[in-house]
Amino acid sequence: MRHTLRFTGVGGQGVLLAGEIMAACKIKNGGFGLKTATYTSQVRGGATVVDITLDDNEIRYPYANEGEIDFMLSVADVSYHQFKSGVRPGNKIVVDPNLVHPTDEDRKTWEIIEIPIITIAKEEVGNVITQSVVALAITNTMTDVLPEESLIETMLSKVPTKVHEANKKAYALGKAYALDAMGTK
Amino acid sequence: MREVISTGNELAAKASVDAGARFFGGYPITPSSEVMHSVSDLLPKVGGTAIQMEDEIAGISAALGASMAGTKSFTATSGPGISLKAEQIGLAFIAEIPLVIVNVMRGGPSTGLPTRVSQADIGQAQYPTHGDYASITLCAGSLTECYTQTVRAFNLAEKYMTPVFMLLDETIGHMHGKADLPDIEEIEASNVNREKFHGDPADYKPYKAEMNKPAVLNPMFEGYKYHITGLHHGDEGFPTEDAQQCEFNIERLVGKINTVHLENNGLDDLPDYEEVDLEDADICIIAYGSIALGAYEAVKKLRSEGIKAGLFRPIMLWPSPINRLEEIGKKFENRIMVTELNMGQYSKEIERVIKRNDFTTLLKANGRPIAPAEMVAKVKEMI
Repeated sequence: MRHTLRFTGVGGQGVLLAGEIMAACKIKNGGFGLKTATYTSQVRGGATVVDITLDDNEIRYPYANEGEIDFMLSVADVSYHQFKSGVRPGNKIVVDPNLVHPTDEDRKTWEIIEIPIITIAKEEVGNVITQSVVALAITNTMTDVLPEESLIETMLSKVPTKVHEANKKAYALGKAYALDAMGTK
Repeated sequence: MREVISTGNELAAKASVDAGARFFGGYPITPSSEVMHSVSDLLPKVGGTAIQMEDEIAGISAALGASMAGTKSFTATSGPGISLKAEQIGLAFIAEIPLVIVNVMRGGPSTGLPTRVSQADIGQAQYPTHGDYASITLCAGSLTECYTQTVRAFNLAEKYMTPVFMLLDETIGHMHGKADLPDIEEIEASNVNREKFHGDPADYKPYKAEMNKPAVLNPMFEGYKYHITGLHHGDEGFPTEDAQQCEFNIERLVGKINTVHLENNGLDDLPDYEEVDLEDADICIIAYGSIALGAYEAVKKLRSEGIKAGLFRPIMLWPSPINRLEEIGKKFENRIMVTELNMGQYSKEIERVIKRNDFTTLLKANGRPIAPAEMVAKVKEMI
């Protein structure tokens, strides 16, 4: 079974790291995972898209096929509009409502879920950099593609020790918001 | 086997150190910068040196100097950097200085598309500078090959006393995933070191090589004196304009790569290409580098629909695997599709080798990859 996920944001938000963690976790569990990023020559502020492909069998082509993406999460309007078309109609797209503004047509095409990712990181965790871990938790809670315990372990191995507690908190908050949004809290 | 999770750029850096490189000179440029970031961490740990110079030209110059001193050296850049380094690459060719040059390809010409994938530097890798010479160019088609082919590049550079191009592209350089690497003992056992002259220094003539054989350059500062120049030179490296000598020099420079490759069906014992499902195929897709990643999936999809497709993937781009390409040309009349991220640079080589142009091309030069679905659609048009 192949899962294709897409994170979109702007350079500097840390979407690359979230993708790397998911691919690494799948590999550690005996499967195959690939992360590719497409970004512009603006290091900060340019549209960035990360595609993550996870499969039990070998993956060669690292990019998502248009229209076959299972799930997308977006924290920037510019990249949301540029890359939303890759998502399979009817599937979930999580957006930060303070930053991303889907059209009425989008709400008919996909299941748009609004979670204030950046605000959660900034105000509830107290560290805006943890937004990528909030996003990671939301993604895995909604897609259930990776074993949670292993994902948290992989995540902690990729962030400095001094921010372990903050990131654990970010994960728990992301999960809670996702469950709430799915109506299963 | 060692299983690692990494990117193509980091694997090229790791391979360089494992191949015995102890000096890196370069200047950062997207999408190759992570090669320099990685070796900056790795080289000091093994007693090596990585230095960021003031520009691309200084980067390769430092690496060439280190190589003259007997240290396996390399540089990494992207197309614009190769353009800047062109003059020193020429010096490496004529003076026969081993050097690995990693090029992580992005869109060009000029500064082009810094963050986007391209394969438009393969022509540049064949003829990166003025004059006559023959280039060795390897092209990684997987994360694992970013490692194994970089090791091979060092071995070929030392064996043939020449610069060797190791081509990655933005996709494969930045792709993050699993790679299975050979054990370090296996790599170390395969490492090649340049030949040395051990006789009386008075008898040492570094450039007095037989036709199609490389020069034997002892490391500087070990008591063997000789001259290194970009001018045509005689046996001891001093400039000459002697007609016979100059003719011999060029025939030897080209012959030590091209003639040897043709006569031995390769420059080493490693495969110059990969074939997938070609035996019973009706259609042959030719693709290299990251584009081959999509081609594997296209072959699978076509076969699931009853269309017998196969893949030919060159690994050594220059010299190209002429003997095998000729056979493929005969077997697949009107049934070859060449797909690449440029306006047909390798397609021209196919045409030259098979002496026909009855093949289909699927080309792209806008900085975007070619999806398996596009390849499938193109093949279906051919039937």
